[in-house]
Amino acid sequence: MLLLQYIVSGVATGCFLILATIGFSLTRHVEGFLNIAHAQLLGVSAFSTWWINVVLGWPLIPSAIIGIFCAALIGLVIGRVVYEPIRSAGPAILLISSVGVAHILGGLIDTAIGTGIRTLNIDIATSYRFWGIRITDHQLLVVALAVIASASLSLFLAKSRTGLAIRAMAVNPSLAASRGVDVKRTSRATWLLSSSLAGLAGVVLAIIATLSTEIAFEQILQILAVAILAGLGSLFTVIWSGLIIGIAMDASVFWIPAGYRPLIAFGVVIIVLVFRPDGLSGRRSS
Amino acid sequence: MNWLQVILTVVTIGSIFSVVTLALNLQYARGGMINFGVVAYFAAGAYIYAIFTHPAPEGLDQYIIGLDWPWWAGFIAAGIASLLFAVLTGWPTLRLRGEYLAVTTFAFAEVLYSFLLNERRIGNGAVGLSNIERPIRDWGTIDEKYIFAIVAVALMFLTAWIFRKLLNSPYGRALDAIRDDEGAAQAIGKSAKRMRLQVFLLSAIPIGFAGALYAMYMTLVSPRLFTAEVSFIVWIALVLGGERTIWGAMAGTFGLILLEEVITSLPFESVSAAQNAAAMNHVVTGLLFIAVLRWQPFEWISKKLEKK
Amino acid sequence: MKKLLQVSNVTKQFGGLRAIGGYNGLSFDVDPGSFTGLIGPNGSGKSTIFNLLSGFLKPNSGSIVFDGNDITTAPPEAISERGLARTFQTPRTFSSLTVIDNVIVGADNPGERLRFSWTGKWRNQEAELKHEAVEIFGRVGLSHRVNDRVGDLSGGELRMLEVARQMIRKPKLILLDEPTAGVDPKLQQNLADLLIAIHRKGTTIIVVEHNLHFLLDLVDNLLVINRGELLAKGSPEEIRSNPEVVSAYLGGQDAAQSYKN
Repeated sequence: MLLLQYIVSGVATGCFLILATIGFSLTRHVEGFLNIAHAQLLGVSAFSTWWINVVLGWPLIPSAIIGIFCAALIGLVIGRVVYEPIRSAGPAILLISSVGVAHILGGLIDTAIGTGIRTLNIDIATSYRFWGIRITDHQLLVVALAVIASASLSLFLAKSRTGLAIRAMAVNPSLAASRGVDVKRTSRATWLLSSSLAGLAGVVLAIIATLSTEIAFEQILQILAVAILAGLGSLFTVIWSGLIIGIAMDASVFWIPAGYRPLIAFGVVIIVLVFRPDGLSGRRSS
Repeated sequence: MNWLQVILTVVTIGSIFSVVTLALNLQYARGGMINFGVVAYFAAGAYIYAIFTHPAPEGLDQYIIGLDWPWWAGFIAAGIASLLFAVLTGWPTLRLRGEYLAVTTFAFAEVLYSFLLNERRIGNGAVGLSNIERPIRDWGTIDEKYIFAIVAVALMFLTAWIFRKLLNSPYGRALDAIRDDEGAAQAIGKSAKRMRLQVFLLSAIPIGFAGALYAMYMTLVSPRLFTAEVSFIVWIALVLGGERTIWGAMAGTFGLILLEEVITSLPFESVSAAQNAAAMNHVVTGLLFIAVLRWQPFEWISKKLEKK
Repeated sequence: MKKLLQVSNVTKQFGGLRAIGGYNGLSFDVDPGSFTGLIGPNGSGKSTIFNLLSGFLKPNSGSIVFDGNDITTAPPEAISERGLARTFQTPRTFSSLTVIDNVIVGADNPGERLRFSWTGKWRNQEAELKHEAVEIFGRVGLSHRVNDRVGDLSGGELRMLEVARQMIRKPKLILLDEPTAGVDPKLQQNLADLLIAIHRKGTTIIVVEHNLHFLLDLVDNLLVINRGELLAKGSPEEIRSNPEVVSAYLGGQDAAQSYKN
């Protein structure tokens, strides 16, 4: 029974990881590198939401919207100023640059917010019981948001013109360019989209967790784990990977000390990579 | 501010970290391997040195092994430990390319960190082991801190010399060929897999020694000395110095350590001012990092020099 | 006579489509000391065959035996060590090495062992290899380029450089993938002379070439590939008079054109 409880909370954790990773995966597909600074955008949104909600005293929803807006804007600007000029330098240089970006954002958040633990000014979670399993309304919110976000993202990618352009770029950037896709515009649309998703995940993080300035760094580990596990697959492999890692992390508490929980994510990744060097999807990057 | 003290610290810490940067330079700039978990090999060396030289546990100690061996045995063991950790991590992961290797090495470092933090039987968990054996004492009239700086510099130059010899030999040339075009190198009989593993293992040994030296210098090992931050600092140093050259790797490390030492030794009026300075330090290093990667001034300089 | 290379029933699929081998798989063999041309229309699988022989691709079925050793699943570097050399369709060179180092690095160099890095024992071989490389440069007509940077070489010179890098390995069999593409006539003549010379010394050669004018003067054997299958084989004369080949390949506009040239 306890195990089942852990699995249920693992699904919620997994849904948060999905929210945090889909934006990351999107940039990875389109821009072709692992953007380590993605998690700092979660931090940007989480702390702007906190600041507006607690310091200015606004209600949650408008605070959250402004928080997401901040993350989207900053993500777009960084994409334009930092990554766009070095696109041709290759994934390794872009990856290493993003570590620099993560340092800058982390430092700025530290300066602006300072140390200490912060929570939003909202009602604490109420829990419901179904057949003895406890679920909180916050967990349900996370699951609902993950479902809505992934469904609308996949709809957007499948139906809209920009979505089609993004998909074309992800498959083959030079081919897409030769077929009339505006590479710069599409790339910026991707930054806007992935940063907004990071912003949404940041708001969720602010709701479900207590915020400290190290939180972004802790998130990037899990985001990397999910993204690497998924490999270069579709949105659905990201969803699967998020759920697998979320459940594995939470259910592991049943057997081993909770201090090792973050390790489980990487344990899963290492095992998968040893057997499938290209992740669950098995697709190889060129 | 005591400038002499700052300079000594920069020389000592700078040399210790330079060893790690040099190893990373060999792995990345010549071997084409992105190791984002370099701190793990450093930590392995430091912890093994501590465990080998520490007395048996007593009282409130939670660690279970303390061999109380002499310092030199611990020092050798540190190099071996780092090598073994490289075997353990390199063997399954080196067939992964680029970003996958970056993430798995990063993951291994996190695994080790988490073990050191949670498994109190290794080194007292978060508390760490203090009063680490420090073999270097005052030498006649010379203070031990000078001797320490000299030893650190010597280790750095020894590492640089050994790597330089390696890279200037036909072995280094074959390594360059593999990095430039792996397929074409295979077509002339070069085993990319074997040579990468060799370089990975070889470069781990001095990192282990540097870890042992770091443990002696700090007279402490604890998980918070070996966070992922250390890996990033070494990467930033490598990029700052221009990734291709041995001198660049050392210059970048010293520059970065100097910056950090100057900031931390500035007299701040309040705690929050000091915290802000530390945070701004992050921002400045991040900006430098991006600027160097974007405009590649060192490539430019070396090209200018070559044309002359 | 014992065959140098035996390809038996090899098939290769890409994404479920059979690229090489048709129904029964591709089979052919090569005699030691022969000079074989591999021809066929674009996309007929010539480069894929080279990639299979040199270990860069693994066949889905069938076997490849080289010099008495099964190399079907061997990695490229092991195949290269056994004496099977190859060049690539687009020249692949090492951009951070000088021109001469690009050739020397090709040698099967005992001085390349890791432990010699520190003992300096590699210096003995180095002078000898340098001498050898300079000599090869003379033969391909690149002497004046020895100390240049690879980036300064023309496409044709890069191709010569790649051939030179394989020559220094003294291979038993060398696979040349379109060695004359983008090479000016002067260098082409040097190349032809070099190939004749090494062939006389006993090196077996297989060459993929669109320039039939260049090819037919050199080779003693032709293999005609179409859609991944062996369409015909024989001496240049036999192939020229084979109606099936003429209609499938030689009859094509380009081929007739280049043949006339």
